Amino acid sequence: MRRVSGVFDTSYLQDMTIFRTKHYIAGMVILILLFLALPAFVSDFWLAFISSTAVTIIALQGLNILAGYCGQISIGHTAFMAVGAYTSTILARELGLSLWICMPVGGLGAALVGLLFGLPSLRVKGYYLAITTIAAQFLIIYMIKTPFPEVTGGAIALSVPELRVGSFVFNSEIHFYYLIVAIMALMTFLSKSLTRSYFGRALVAVRDNDIAAEAMGINIFKYKLMAFFIGCFFAGIAGSVWAVYVRVISPDDFTLVNSIWQMGMLIIGGLGSTLGPFFGAVFISALREICVIIGPWVTSTFPQIGAQVSASLVEMTFGVAIVLFLVYEPRGIGHRWEILKESYRLWPFSY
Amino acid sequence: MITFFQLLISGLSVGFIYGLIAVGFVLIFKSSQIFNFAQGEMVMFGAFLVWVFLNYDIPPVVAIILVLMIVGAAGYLLERFPLRPMIGQPIFATIMITMGIGVFLKGLALLLWSRHIGIQYPSVITEKTINILGVPLSNVTIGVFVFGLVMVIILGLFFNYSRTGLHMRAAAENHQLAQSMGIKVTRAIAQSWAIAAIVATIGGFLLGYMRGIDFGLIEIGLIAIAAALVGGLESFKGAVVGGLIIGVAQTFTGGYVGYGLKEVVPFLIMVLVLIFKPYGLFGLVKIERV
Repeated sequence: MRRVSGVFDTSYLQDMTIFRTKHYIAGMVILILLFLALPAFVSDFWLAFISSTAVTIIALQGLNILAGYCGQISIGHTAFMAVGAYTSTILARELGLSLWICMPVGGLGAALVGLLFGLPSLRVKGYYLAITTIAAQFLIIYMIKTPFPEVTGGAIALSVPELRVGSFVFNSEIHFYYLIVAIMALMTFLSKSLTRSYFGRALVAVRDNDIAAEAMGINIFKYKLMAFFIGCFFAGIAGSVWAVYVRVISPDDFTLVNSIWQMGMLIIGGLGSTLGPFFGAVFISALREICVIIGPWVTSTFPQIGAQVSASLVEMTFGVAIVLFLVYEPRGIGHRWEILKESYRLWPFSY
Repeated sequence: MITFFQLLISGLSVGFIYGLIAVGFVLIFKSSQIFNFAQGEMVMFGAFLVWVFLNYDIPPVVAIILVLMIVGAAGYLLERFPLRPMIGQPIFATIMITMGIGVFLKGLALLLWSRHIGIQYPSVITEKTINILGVPLSNVTIGVFVFGLVMVIILGLFFNYSRTGLHMRAAAENHQLAQSMGIKVTRAIAQSWAIAAIVATIGGFLLGYMRGIDFGLIEIGLIAIAAALVGGLESFKGAVVGGLIIGVAQTFTGGYVGYGLKEVVPFLIMVLVLIFKPYGLFGLVKIERV
């Protein structure tokens, strides 16, 4: 990887810094100020858009650790979000605990369930593992829907208590916007730090060649399970934040289709980079909004097509986007961004 | 006891259809090592397509043959565009590409047919109840049972005796070796997609005849994947047996336990089989470090 010209690292500490130059730091400060000032300029619609995208990004960071860094395919990620959401909500409802405690506990609950469903990864890999995670998706949603309807609300929605600090109640889009973006920033920092550490490099080794990784002294079972634990922890946090945000959760929010969408976002954004989830989630969410906006126009122009034009357009563009990205840019938008950055640094020369 | 036999027979007939769809799935896996997660969408799309053609003023047999030719051609073309670049790609990419195809098909079907709710095929035979050994059975159930059985036998003969079928099996075994024997591997893969699409459409038609045509048919694809895994991914016989096991288990849990469990029991069985016998009942045991 090429570095910014004229910047030379003279110590390991310098080599490890995330923000290498003053420009990076200045850019970061501007970005933070921008996010802080944003609610003054945009409507609630856009704040809601950013909040829901940010929740998706939290979940995607977890999926990225699991699938992008450790190579363990999980097609049941939203089910782990559901575990987080339901764990925190039920704890808050039944035991009356503060939601601030329930949210991390929800994350831990999802992580433990993820550990359970990660156990097959010790025996099978590849397709078989992907299928067992699909089974996890169905089994978890079944457990929510059927056996204990009086606790989990069954197939019907479950309402979530209000989030409050002292007498301050989170009840407008702006409050949730700040909360969720802050949590997203925190979780992103956590994921970045994890993947830069020994842990992250061990995961990459397991992904690239598990036998070689074992020969190098990495306990692959431990790291696979840890990847499941941490990936599902992120999903659980995302789920409990989502529950607090929308105030009503139902099993239909966490279907297999949503899991497939998350996988697609990760593919489009780029696997195995911290920026990938951002690109993927924003790209797909924007695509979805565009389809929802042009849907009514299509209906009025071609009235013979019929109902659900927006929904079908969303699905079709998503399918086409996945196929095109996989065929023409399997490493996602993140890779393109890296190329762009490098060519900017080298400009006006090509190499 | 009579309910027991009724449930058994209807489970077996549903199971044959699952097995049939699972055969299409196994076929694609064998020929190209790709897991086709779009199988359910293909089933649903085929069922709708048959419905569209049956509404035209042409004899039903001709309409069905036309549809089968169309989906066959579509399967053939699918190999050319998104799938050929996927040969040799990591598993993650091949999983997502079939899911992308599936999502696209679902979107297209929503666009075209979401207005039509609760549609049925025009009935070809009048439904009546027949007593066999004192067990009352619907003649539609028996018809589907016989038809599924015939289809499975035809497919078995095709893969064991016809030249094309043997070529496809050879390509499945080893791409390079097959190529050096003068078999066009890409063509064999395309043929397997075409046959899978045809088989999925037949399965969709039969299921649609039994339970109506709707978007719920998509879930059948995942159940068929579970059936294929229970039977072992490399075996056609296994796919059919897995389909039967899962079909019967589903109708029994539906009849004796409840609807909620009926939906997950295929996956429950699959997980148990994967834990105790990771390569399925008839699958090829691979020795592999995990």
